[in-house]
Amino acid sequence: MKKILILVLFLAAGILSAQQFKVEKAAGNVKAQIGGSEKWTAIKTGDVLAANSIVLTGEKSSLVLGGNGTKLSLKESSALPLPYLKKMSVDDLILALAMQDMINSPRKKEEANSKNTAVYGAEINGVKIPFVPSSNFGVQRLNGAVQLAEIGFKESAIVDAKETFRKYPGTKSIASFRIYFANLLADLNLNEDAYNEFKQISSLKLDSRQKQEVTSKLDSLSKKLMK
Amino acid sequence: MIETLNIQAQSSFGLSGYWTPLQQSSTLLNSFEANPGNFSSLKDWGLSFSYGGEFSGTPTSSLYLISLDKQIGSHFISLRYTPGYQKEFIFNNGESIVLHDSSTQSLSSQFTYKELFGLGYSYKFSEKLSAGFSLRYFKQEFDQQSVLPVFSDTVYLNQVNKINNINFWRGDLGINYSPSKYFSLSFATINLLNVNESVADSTLAPYEIKKDKGVSFGLSIAPSESYDLNLIYETTNALQTGINSYFNLFGNKIGFGVSVFHDKFQSPFFAGIVPAISFNTNKFSFSLSGIKYFSNRNIPHTFSEFTNDGLNNIINNRYSFDKAVLTVTFALNTIPEKEVEFLDVDMIRDIYPTMSDNYLNRPFADAKIVNLTDKTISVKPSSKIEGINEDRIISPVVTIGPKDTADVPFYTIIPQSYDKKKTGISFVDFFVTANNDNPDDQTQKPILINGINAWDGKVINLRYFIKRNYEFSMDYSKKILSNYKSELDTMSYSLSIFYKAKIIFNNCVRELVYSSNPTAAQNYVQFPNETLNLKGGNCDDLSVLYSSLLESVGIQTALVDYKPQNGIGHVSVLVNTQLSPDQARLITDNDSKYFIRKNESGVDEVWIPVETTSLTNFDKAWELGAEKFNQDALTNLGLAKGSVEIVDIY
Repeated sequence: MKKILILVLFLAAGILSAQQFKVEKAAGNVKAQIGGSEKWTAIKTGDVLAANSIVLTGEKSSLVLGGNGTKLSLKESSALPLPYLKKMSVDDLILALAMQDMINSPRKKEEANSKNTAVYGAEINGVKIPFVPSSNFGVQRLNGAVQLAEIGFKESAIVDAKETFRKYPGTKSIASFRIYFANLLADLNLNEDAYNEFKQISSLKLDSRQKQEVTSKLDSLSKKLMK
Repeated sequence: MIETLNIQAQSSFGLSGYWTPLQQSSTLLNSFEANPGNFSSLKDWGLSFSYGGEFSGTPTSSLYLISLDKQIGSHFISLRYTPGYQKEFIFNNGESIVLHDSSTQSLSSQFTYKELFGLGYSYKFSEKLSAGFSLRYFKQEFDQQSVLPVFSDTVYLNQVNKINNINFWRGDLGINYSPSKYFSLSFATINLLNVNESVADSTLAPYEIKKDKGVSFGLSIAPSESYDLNLIYETTNALQTGINSYFNLFGNKIGFGVSVFHDKFQSPFFAGIVPAISFNTNKFSFSLSGIKYFSNRNIPHTFSEFTNDGLNNIINNRYSFDKAVLTVTFALNTIPEKEVEFLDVDMIRDIYPTMSDNYLNRPFADAKIVNLTDKTISVKPSSKIEGINEDRIISPVVTIGPKDTADVPFYTIIPQSYDKKKTGISFVDFFVTANNDNPDDQTQKPILINGINAWDGKVINLRYFIKRNYEFSMDYSKKILSNYKSELDTMSYSLSIFYKAKIIFNNCVRELVYSSNPTAAQNYVQFPNETLNLKGGNCDDLSVLYSSLLESVGIQTALVDYKPQNGIGHVSVLVNTQLSPDQARLITDNDSKYFIRKNESGVDEVWIPVETTSLTNFDKAWELGAEKFNQDALTNLGLAKGSVEIVDIY
């Protein structure tokens, strides 16, 4: 098992503009896409990135980013749209979920026979933290979203993951990510959303441990919802 | 000889019972006694007959009244002939003559009082207020026997009849005010005008009908629709009060009424009772009434009483006997009965001719319409806008309960051919029709008709500008695309929509510039051909143009409505590439430049935002459109908070 090291430091405000992030350390193949640009630009330590950028780390690469009062260490094979690197309230999360439903309600029929994907990750306090080394951009975004949650931006991470699931439908079959983000919804007491998510996950191809976890979560969430 | 005479009658006493104006029945017709103001609810013609009998020692019967009535607009006229309104007195004048065979012959006098005919008129100022007058013609004949000595060879006495006719007109005014169907007031004069036809013999003055002047006040209150209470008070110290009760029978009205009257010259205090029953339909009515006096009428009266008190009323005096009267009234209605009418019309919206379909689904006016009948009816509303409609436009039928009021919406159709650019005031004629061929009621209201470029500021309504001149847009787009036929033919179909959108944008924006509208009016939108002819426009115009060009060749679009922030709003276009999410990489490596929407079949499709005011090239317009959409609609949760809205064209 590989430990994920996430370091979050809250810096004194004023070093950078709220709309910018500074590359404090870039190791290996690290790229960014600025705004609506089609190009991926290699970035190096000391570069300043606009808030509407997407950062991407390749295999065996890493990035430490600071700005907007936040420091993020992004490990290999991860992608993160920087607009998500911000603290959202639960109310805003609820609005964002409603908005995504409004634009694009969940599919009625989920793919039940999709391939399972090998998952690596750490287990902290009994919670498995998924990580998938992949060149698939959707998976890389989910890796980034997980790391976003681990530094405390659970709400933003959920929105990021939801968008990724929609834009990259293949990622919806990766049960570990689905379970991880469903658990985040439950942690935030968004029990109905969490229940619906686990209900959908239960139709995916799950290993025995995942089945047990999903069944257990559905039981506990249904009890909460009955109250 | 009648020995005792002392009578003072009540002016408002009628033979058909005492009915209230609240019930709008025809039983009040021609009752100039109780209704000097000649109030009537008749719609057209009326014809009445009253026949009755008097129960004296020897019962007699006669035709009391024939009347003809006509309503003309707000005017109402009554004519009546009253052969039965008469009273005749024959009495011994106390003298007698001895005939040649030594027999004696008493001399008598005969006084005859008749009301021959009457004329009434009233004017209805409103449904609540009417005023009018009545003129009645009275005939008085005093036939007195006497003897005159004739001097010849011998003196003998000759019996002669001295006849005096003192005829006169009586005129009175009256006002009726009914502020609601539960309350009514009336005011009338008594003997306001009396004009003798000839100079009267002063010796006969005591025997003439008294003409004391006064006024009468009437009050009717209906605590419910099933009964009412009535009172008339006369300043000549008389009153009449009664109660009437009604119920409906198969749509017709049956009424029961009873009233008592007081007359200072009759006893007891309430001199008599007048029971009545009526049956009213729309076409005719019957009323059967009776008069029962509480005092014994078969007692002698002295001539000195008659001389002292005189006679005030022909049909109701202390010499009158109990009566029964049957009145039949026919309402000959050649004018269709009004069943519904407008109470008010509320103009909801001005007319924006280009937003034509909008008026098929949403009303432009709301009317309050009342059902005047006792049954549930279906009402057909229609309207005609001067300058827009050639015929009446019929709106959906509405059902209204008895006496109920309903809000009735009015819709209209704006013809596609309407092309006036100028805004102006016009008029709408509103009609409401129940069961008649012609409208029961109509009213007119002014309305603002905008020019065809006018827009109400709602982005959802820009779709009408997009759809208008569709043929032009189709021709224009096809012309552009035909220049790229070879490229498009070799391209996979899934990518062709995206490239068509790109080609059309790059070709139509080449000569355009962003500018505010030529009219400088905020809510003025150019049609696609106008934007191209003028070589520019603002965000509304450019979005309408681009959306119209794409829609006309089958490319689905939507508008993004960025609601006004600090008074400035914005509109741009979303294009449905119809690509699946997995195919999005075929058009971009940047996944922030698109978002996913489901189509009607539930299939995810890739949509891209395009900023139509970026008149450089498609890629730049897409990039700018995506940045603004991501920032305002998604990152700032504008779609959830309502500050940004996606408006589908179809």
